[in-house]
Amino acid sequence: MNNFGVIEIASTTTKNTPGWAYVPDTGPTLSAALQPTNRKRAARNLPALSLSDLSAREETRIRKDLEALDRDNHRDVHIPIPPRPGGSRAQNKHTPNVRRILQSQKTFANHLDDYQAMLALAESNPTAAAAMTATQTKPSTPTVAASKSASPAPTAAPAAAGSKRSAAAAKRAAAREKEEQEKKKARQTPKQEPEPEPEPEPKPQQPQQDTDVEMSDAPSTSQPAPTSEETPQNSQTYPRESLILPPYAKPPPQPHPGDADPLLVSYVPPFPSDDELRALMTAPPLSYLEARATWSEDERRYPVRVFCTVCGYWGRVKCMKCGTRVCALDCLETHREECVTRYGL
Amino acid sequence: MAASRKSRINAPPAPSTTLVLDNGADTIKAGFVTGAKTDEPRIIPNCLARDRHRKTYVGSELQKCRDFGEMAFRRPVEKGYIVSWEAQKEIWDREFLDDKAPQKCDPSESRLVLTEQPNALPALQTHCDQMVFEEFGFASYCRTIGPALNAYQDIQAIFHTPRAPDTSIDVPAEILLVVDSGYSHTTVTPVVQGRPLHPAIRRLDVGGKLMTNYLARLLSVRHFDMRNEPFIVNEMKEAVCYVSLDFKGDLEKTWKGTRGERREDYLGGGGIAKDYVLPDSHTTFHGVVREYEPGISARARKAAVSTEDVLTLRNERFVVPETLFNPPDIGLRQPGLADLVMQSLSVLPIGLWPGLLANIVVVGGNARFDNFIQRLQMELLELVPDECVVRVARPENAVTSTWLGAAKFARHEHVERLAVTKQEYEENGAGWVARKFAAGLGVDT
Repeated sequence: MNNFGVIEIASTTTKNTPGWAYVPDTGPTLSAALQPTNRKRAARNLPALSLSDLSAREETRIRKDLEALDRDNHRDVHIPIPPRPGGSRAQNKHTPNVRRILQSQKTFANHLDDYQAMLALAESNPTAAAAMTATQTKPSTPTVAASKSASPAPTAAPAAAGSKRSAAAAKRAAAREKEEQEKKKARQTPKQEPEPEPEPEPKPQQPQQDTDVEMSDAPSTSQPAPTSEETPQNSQTYPRESLILPPYAKPPPQPHPGDADPLLVSYVPPFPSDDELRALMTAPPLSYLEARATWSEDERRYPVRVFCTVCGYWGRVKCMKCGTRVCALDCLETHREECVTRYGL
Repeated sequence: MAASRKSRINAPPAPSTTLVLDNGADTIKAGFVTGAKTDEPRIIPNCLARDRHRKTYVGSELQKCRDFGEMAFRRPVEKGYIVSWEAQKEIWDREFLDDKAPQKCDPSESRLVLTEQPNALPALQTHCDQMVFEEFGFASYCRTIGPALNAYQDIQAIFHTPRAPDTSIDVPAEILLVVDSGYSHTTVTPVVQGRPLHPAIRRLDVGGKLMTNYLARLLSVRHFDMRNEPFIVNEMKEAVCYVSLDFKGDLEKTWKGTRGERREDYLGGGGIAKDYVLPDSHTTFHGVVREYEPGISARARKAAVSTEDVLTLRNERFVVPETLFNPPDIGLRQPGLADLVMQSLSVLPIGLWPGLLANIVVVGGNARFDNFIQRLQMELLELVPDECVVRVARPENAVTSTWLGAAKFARHEHVERLAVTKQEYEENGAGWVARKFAAGLGVDT
């Protein structure tokens, strides 16, 4: 659209200025909600609260309760390090890093806030964040991942793959195996993310030895080299061509007369390909907050269970003064003795 | 790359002694692996504790303590990660490094295998690496995700899978799902060939500490104020709490009833009520569980009120562990354990589900609750496709299971691939070490 030469830059920031505000226009109803035409009926026009939505007061109470449950001690205590019984060890000099760590009084919450701040910085100001990552390690950030995946040249891979595979199928000398392991190790050590390698170098698995978990060779044409007791000709393997999870090679269970019954046939979901598995196994760790499980949609749909605050049975009745749940008259009376309705409680 | 290969060749041979540490928030599990010999792990309380006489106990000195009333604790590990190195160093020093330490270890000649909880903050990981090398000076060091190490155990033995006696044992196990329910939180970790599948690791912020505090709160509402007695409440929790297989039914049995109603189940205890005798700090120092005796207890309480404090525990017994399966009960907006497993599976290809669901291992202190695995299995069966077999098992000792896996890992070839020597650390720096540990074992093919 021709906006008379004016190019609008999309922005999500909100600026508050006395009197009026810049607000990102993200939806059609937002302006109506911000400036309701009829203030008297404003509460009525709000979207309906679902059963699991709680009032602000409840919200605060629950948050405080959970914080209390998360504490190590009921009261704040400070326990200093006691002196050693037999005099302290010779105080060797700490390195600067160690001194900084030992003197740090940060709690986990402080560290988490730092981490979030760093992530926010990385989002808003990538250059500054890159400077931070130079000093501080941050393995799950994309910047590091990008620098990691720069090691081998993928263009030369297909040719190398062909030759390597044929060589491997032809003869697997112990020396070569060792050399490849060395290579693998070397590849892993410095730039550790083993990016989806174009050429799998599969080896037969030898589970009973305590050696490397090696994978069987040559997916389609040649079958795995015979190791001790494995019978690779078993065509009815379940994960058919997987090398990371090698196929089931033990003798199948006893045949059963119902095996051919179409009603008893079970559906077997498609097994993930090696590439999928490899991607999963080498994926970087999630961050602390990403790994926290959250409510999914359908759990939000169900009302939470409520309990009697006095005896712990179902909370069937609400106190008319404060809304606390109790089960029946006896508990309600116990509750009333101490029911206080303080402002902001 | 060339430099690192060179250093690998020049590196001195790997140290023969390995100190395996499972550094939990509540207890450290520690032991040596020397050659083919594996010591029994020692369980050390990972805390500085102070009793009411203001005497401080560090780590295993807590055994000398007799009166646990009004104990206060300072823990170096918060939320499963080592945060306060000042305290942690003191405990490690006294347990492993001092001249008269019970598990004397010479760091310059040994390797450290240290477990950590998944999804740690990078800053804390770096602190850990720096402390291990710069302060303690271990010759070689390996920091790995704790739950994944269970794969190095003989998993099928835990499930009592029938098999021929001469079958080889897969180490690491091909596929399993580890539910680790510890002091700080509960995590679900799918493991394939000993590698944790990071995108699918999920955490529920319910752990032993929360449950102990919750029990203390319930008791302080209904009986005495026990909020200053974390040790005693924790003992009580371990002694009497169980996971209910029929929550509604059990709750019904423990209900006093409406006014004037005399419910048989309530008066008779319904098979659930138990009496718990609190320690009096003069003659007894540990609580005792007694069967609930309907007629006697009321009389006994009147007669013996001066000598002993008895609590009758009813629905407290199963409501507390219920928080693991229904966190919304205490207002925590997180899914229960079975949903947690499903959320973890939902990011994985369906082809892996049968394998993971048929090999669920529950470890950690909370796994010791009665009926824990039965309840998890029951709830999962309702959620998964019909064809999937769900097997949930608990190793013989759920607390040391990860340590035993770590000990097996310390003898496995994988440890050589993951371990970092002091020399490498000094050459390449902490950032390199952190990246190496974050990448893990990688894939062989």
